[in-house]
Amino acid sequence: MGDADVVVADVRRSFGTVAAVRGASLEARTGRVTGLVGPNGSGKTTLMLMLASLLAPDAGEIRVAGIDPVAEPQRVRALLGWMPDSLGAWGSLTARETIVVTGRLYGMSRGDAQGRASALLDEVGLGPLQGAPARILSRGQKQRLGLARALVHEPRVLLLDEPASGLDPQARVELRVLLRRLAAEGRTILISSHVLSELEEVVDDAVFLVAGETVAADRVAAAGRRERPWRIRLADAATSGEPPLARIAAALGRPATDLEIDRGEILVRIGADEEALRALRALIADGLPVVEFAAATGRLEHTFLDLGRGEAP
Amino acid sequence: MSIARLRTLVALELTQRIRSVAWYVMLGIFALLLIGATVLAFTAFRAFASNGAGSGIYSTVVYIVLLLAVLVSPTLSGNAVNGDRDAATLAPVQVTLATTGEIILGKFLAAWITGLAFAVVAAPFMLLATAAGGVSGWVVVVSLVVLIVEIGVVAAIGVGLSGLVARPLFSVAATYLVVAALTVGTLLAFGLGGASIQSQATTYTRDLSYPGDAPACGMWQPDSGTYLDCGRERPPAPECGEWRASTYTVPRFDYVWWLLAANPFVILADATPTTLDPTYGGPVDLFGSIKAGVRQAQIAPELERRFDQCDPETFGGDAYLVDRTPYDEILATTAPSWFVGLLVQLVLAVGLLLGAWARTRTPARRLPPGTRIA
Repeated sequence: MGDADVVVADVRRSFGTVAAVRGASLEARTGRVTGLVGPNGSGKTTLMLMLASLLAPDAGEIRVAGIDPVAEPQRVRALLGWMPDSLGAWGSLTARETIVVTGRLYGMSRGDAQGRASALLDEVGLGPLQGAPARILSRGQKQRLGLARALVHEPRVLLLDEPASGLDPQARVELRVLLRRLAAEGRTILISSHVLSELEEVVDDAVFLVAGETVAADRVAAAGRRERPWRIRLADAATSGEPPLARIAAALGRPATDLEIDRGEILVRIGADEEALRALRALIADGLPVVEFAAATGRLEHTFLDLGRGEAP
Repeated sequence: MSIARLRTLVALELTQRIRSVAWYVMLGIFALLLIGATVLAFTAFRAFASNGAGSGIYSTVVYIVLLLAVLVSPTLSGNAVNGDRDAATLAPVQVTLATTGEIILGKFLAAWITGLAFAVVAAPFMLLATAAGGVSGWVVVVSLVVLIVEIGVVAAIGVGLSGLVARPLFSVAATYLVVAALTVGTLLAFGLGGASIQSQATTYTRDLSYPGDAPACGMWQPDSGTYLDCGRERPPAPECGEWRASTYTVPRFDYVWWLLAANPFVILADATPTTLDPTYGGPVDLFGSIKAGVRQAQIAPELERRFDQCDPETFGGDAYLVDRTPYDEILATTAPSWFVGLLVQLVLAVGLLLGAWARTRTPARRLPPGTRIA
């Protein structure tokens, strides 16, 4: 296990009578991207705010790069980049000015801040828009400005709250590449999202937060092993006289009622990886022209949905 | 506290303001208003000022700047902190190295400078007024310093309340209420308070009268409308009559005059040195007139007055008129109160700023009800 730059131990926080975070424990390791996954209102943003040194926990301990953000917020802030989920931009400032001001507030000299702004805006793809006032930026462009703002002081730890919302597919790919590169540079990245397909592609580790509590690792593992739908597509599905559902059911030796048709493809519920391997072998052995055999849901999504059902492992 | 970060924060606030069109429209309207007021003041004061109308015009312009600053500042500063929180631009600053103290102080300085823009727009009009003559250098220095401080006090009240009250609409309204309490509220309390605390005043009068009821000689005879000559006869000696008492109630403004001490307009008047007109003895400017009025309220009314026709000492031809104390005597015998009022205002302003600081501090333990940190 590598060094953990973010350590959260049994943190709690409530607002009045509403308990937003009721017991969160996690570690985000250096050089890795850790996903914080949870449904709306599960306490992701509250946890992020506590990590960002904006909110004090009612109980529990937080260490960012070994420093307690409650006791020494200034030291933590110098090491920490935070991108909030709400897009707050100074409407009348240009993208470039926004980054320069932020750099200055992190103690950079005017010259350094200027240079950093040019480099960062190019990096997040806002180079051509650097003279545009922030209020005319689209949602996705503001999102990228927010990311650039979080990166201005080259933080060791990055907290990104829903960074991909509002981004087009091209920008998402770019974000993914950027995050991988930042992690490879040895930064610790904690990223929250409920768009799981997109998290799936970028995270190394995942922490699940349900109703204010992080889910224990063994429960996550158990949920990951539970059976989930797999998608099977046959090359001759349209031309062959025989319906694919019956052929697949026969090959797998399962009753046709186990299978579903979804947009010309067949969905079968399959458990662990070994079971999937056996099923694929059976289909090939039967001479079926299989061109697609894949889990219909990502691992994160599967785990997330399973945990969300609240079933005991 | 880092000066570089503070400067960045102030510049950030001011840049956003400078780039809004509404701001220039407001300054333009203010300039138009000042043109009108200055023209009127020139006409009004030329009529009755023996040593140049400048003082009167100058004080009018300064008062209009103060009035406008007091009226407009709450909207400029009253949502400084919570407005940013609503726009989600506060938290991104709070996660930087900028401390809460720097954020609050930066917002206060920016609001103050913004308010001073009104004084800057008014500067040509003040110059024009001094060109009309009769304005003393001390009056300019003191009144401008007080004006600048008062604009700062209103800015601090606004920024402070914007940090204490969760919603921008309510904090702007609260700022207006506090400013109104200082300006109109103190005046109402003074007027109503003074009028409701009443004392009984008594006037004793003793008339000279002539004995008997026969028409005496040596006097005007009202019945016949003629003068009755006594000839050789000596006129009858008049006799002193009985003392007659008449009572009436007087308002006691001398008990409540201090209520006006914290009024910004009174502070400006009371602090500014007064010049009296050499010919008729009255103050030459609005500052002096208001100061004399407020100072006069300190003087207790005479609760017992005697008019004795038997005593030539107290009964002269204008005995009924000597009521009025000369201005120089009023100013010399009463106490200045501006520093007390200013101190009260400064305590209020600093207290509100400290409250805002405490409420905005991060990591936040308690949040104002109904707010999110970001």
